[in-house]
Amino acid sequence: MLSLNNVTKSFSGVFEPVLKGINLSLKEGEFCTVVGANGSGKSTLLKIISGEYFADSGEIRRNGEVAQVVQDVNKGTIPAMTMLENIALSRMKTPRFAFYRRHATEAIANVRSLNIGLEKFIDQPLGILSGGQRQTVATLMALISGRKILLLDEHTSALDPKMQKELMEYTARSVRELQVTTLMITHNLEDAVKYGDRLIMMHKGRIVADIGGKEKSELKIQSLLEMFHRFENQSLMHEGGEKCPLT
Amino acid sequence: MSIDLIVNGLQQGFILAIIAYGIMIPFRFLDFADLTADGAYPLGGAVCAVCMLTGMHHITVVAIPASMVGAGIMGICTALIHLKLRVNSMLAGIILSTMAYSVNLRVMGKPNIALFDCGGLFQESIGHNILIIAAILAVCVIPFAVFLRTDFGLRFRAVGMNPNLAKQQKISIEKYTIFGLFVSGTMFGLAGSLIVQLQNYMDVGIGVGILIHGLASLMIGEVMVGNATLSQQLVAPLLGALVYQQAQGIALSFGLAPSDLKFFTGSVVLLVTALPKNRILKRA
Repeated sequence: MLSLNNVTKSFSGVFEPVLKGINLSLKEGEFCTVVGANGSGKSTLLKIISGEYFADSGEIRRNGEVAQVVQDVNKGTIPAMTMLENIALSRMKTPRFAFYRRHATEAIANVRSLNIGLEKFIDQPLGILSGGQRQTVATLMALISGRKILLLDEHTSALDPKMQKELMEYTARSVRELQVTTLMITHNLEDAVKYGDRLIMMHKGRIVADIGGKEKSELKIQSLLEMFHRFENQSLMHEGGEKCPLT
Repeated sequence: MSIDLIVNGLQQGFILAIIAYGIMIPFRFLDFADLTADGAYPLGGAVCAVCMLTGMHHITVVAIPASMVGAGIMGICTALIHLKLRVNSMLAGIILSTMAYSVNLRVMGKPNIALFDCGGLFQESIGHNILIIAAILAVCVIPFAVFLRTDFGLRFRAVGMNPNLAKQQKISIEKYTIFGLFVSGTMFGLAGSLIVQLQNYMDVGIGVGILIHGLASLMIGEVMVGNATLSQQLVAPLLGALVYQQAQGIALSFGLAPSDLKFFTGSVVLLVTALPKNRILKRA
């Protein structure tokens, strides 16, 4: 569904490449979390997948369009528009000279299972909702957009712990149900361990750990934390880019 | 204040409302500070005046659409200068308006044209004239309001409200900006052609300060009804223009000289712009 082959990316004025030979392949419906310290290249990786940045070299294959939910809710929604209008906008692949209200209402009816409990606000400007509620709407917009690849860039990080938990539960349940291939950046290691089928850790522009299957389901937060600190403390040890064995 | 002043204000107010809609479209829906009005409005008037002078039998059928298209093309030029040459939107409007002055003189052949006995839409009866202008306004605004509630209209509004999201949704910001400025230009052209037919006179300087009149109307309307919802945004220019014209009438009836009206307009714009933000003014 999504594959990156030896992708590199540099920025002018920055000596070291931000991404160094990234190889990554995600199957249809796979939910992969990405962790790593600030500056490790996570966001650049997402921007290359979304098409916002172009890679210097390497190959990117996307078997489907990409939807994105970012940390700043103002970038992912239009607060001055109503919730229905925001949802209609995300559903609109081929615009028609037809009233958007009808197809947005149909879209909402079709995804009742993705109920977010905000239906009473459907005709209210999104700006009156709390940050968490708006981010939930932004996630719903991405989920029902019909796009097959979903990129989540720390989409819960600006929310309070309760709202973070609710939105993560909602996201995990929904992507599973819709079989959307998902790549989620998070700084919350607990979420990274708890959610998703696979976990990758990035460090200085490389993927230094790729944990999936049984290994992922048995992964403990303590092991992940130790691994995280080990890379932070001994960053020079992995310049060769070899994958780190899980200890 | 005499009844004549009120009725005249109503007539002028409907025409000013067309200009206010033309200003509102790029400002509110495209987040594009368009200053083309000062050039596009007289261009519409100039095209209409020339059509009337040529003695076309079906004056309204030809003159009004020609004025609208002419001014609409000017709107497209402003959009292209901003989008393709990367010139600031305000500067693009100012440059185009300056250039339009020469174009208008070329179109007219002289700085002013008297149009008595040239026909046109309007008659002696002011009530009849108000009805015609209101009907034309409705014919323009109602389809546009319907358009805004369609898929295309929603995408059009998204361009100004969140360009990043619009790009994500694969909305062509260029196409919608060009379209929006064309529509806005046609509104200015329409208003120009109506005022020329109403006054039976065209002067190359009619556009000076028209932007500020339209902006004052829009601001007054938005202070009165707000601009949070689409319905409020669509009502504000009409209401604002009618109130603004009546306010001018009141000012004149209190003995203000017509030459002081521009100062009055500027003060009104300052007041309504500062009012929602300024606590001191609110308390006063």
